[in-house]
Amino acid sequence: MIRIGLVLFTLFFMGCSEHLVRVMPYEKEYFSQDKMSLSPLGERAEQEGHIFLIREASAGGESAFQGGCGCR
Amino acid sequence: MKNIFIGLLLAINLFGAPREGDSAVEFQLPDLYEQNKSLSMKELKGKVVLLNLWASWCGGCQDEMPLFVELQKEYPKDKFEIVLSSIDNMPEGAKGFLGKVDKDKVLTSLYDEDKTLPKAYRCPGMPSSFLIGKDGKIVEVYIGSLDDDAIVELKAKIKSLLGK
Repeated sequence: MIRIGLVLFTLFFMGCSEHLVRVMPYEKEYFSQDKMSLSPLGERAEQEGHIFLIREASAGGESAFQGGCGCR
Repeated sequence: MKNIFIGLLLAINLFGAPREGDSAVEFQLPDLYEQNKSLSMKELKGKVVLLNLWASWCGGCQDEMPLFVELQKEYPKDKFEIVLSSIDNMPEGAKGFLGKVDKDKVLTSLYDEDKTLPKAYRCPGMPSSFLIGKDGKIVEVYIGSLDDDAIVELKAKIKSLLGK
């Protein structure tokens, strides 16, 4: 009974392992590329934020919370 | 049940990464610049070796490379040799980076296209460096990039391994 249980346990986790592929540190060449970044246009976003700041004449006006109206 | 447990322990031990005191992994890899040349671990026996597994896309690897160039300049290559093994998908990336940092080709550079060494050493991080003694045994494993302080400690170890 224990053996059958062990076999079923092994088969179950072997099935899971197919979907849980671990990417090793030495396999992350493509992940290290700029385009794989969560904010791929980080520099551009910063520049746009700066332009927005000047246009709205309000510090922190780039977020929805503060509205950017200069009337904080 | 006991047998299964012992078997599992043995399996874990067999597939474990080489550690300090273990023999360095045997390899034969082509030179980064001249593909018809190659270097094996056997040829390095009798020297103190710092084997560095790196890639041009790895920031930490880039940071420590100038320190390695300076370190190698302090020792004759027949006593202490820094051996770089690039795991870039394309060798051009590694050549391009080393062309800027190691213009005089002070460091021995190999190309490990199939990533055999990081697989064999089961590297948990990049870069990884292995200080290997004259007898071919691993003396120290370094995971992550080495900074100035680590280089000072490394020099002390090299000195003791060289028997100065």
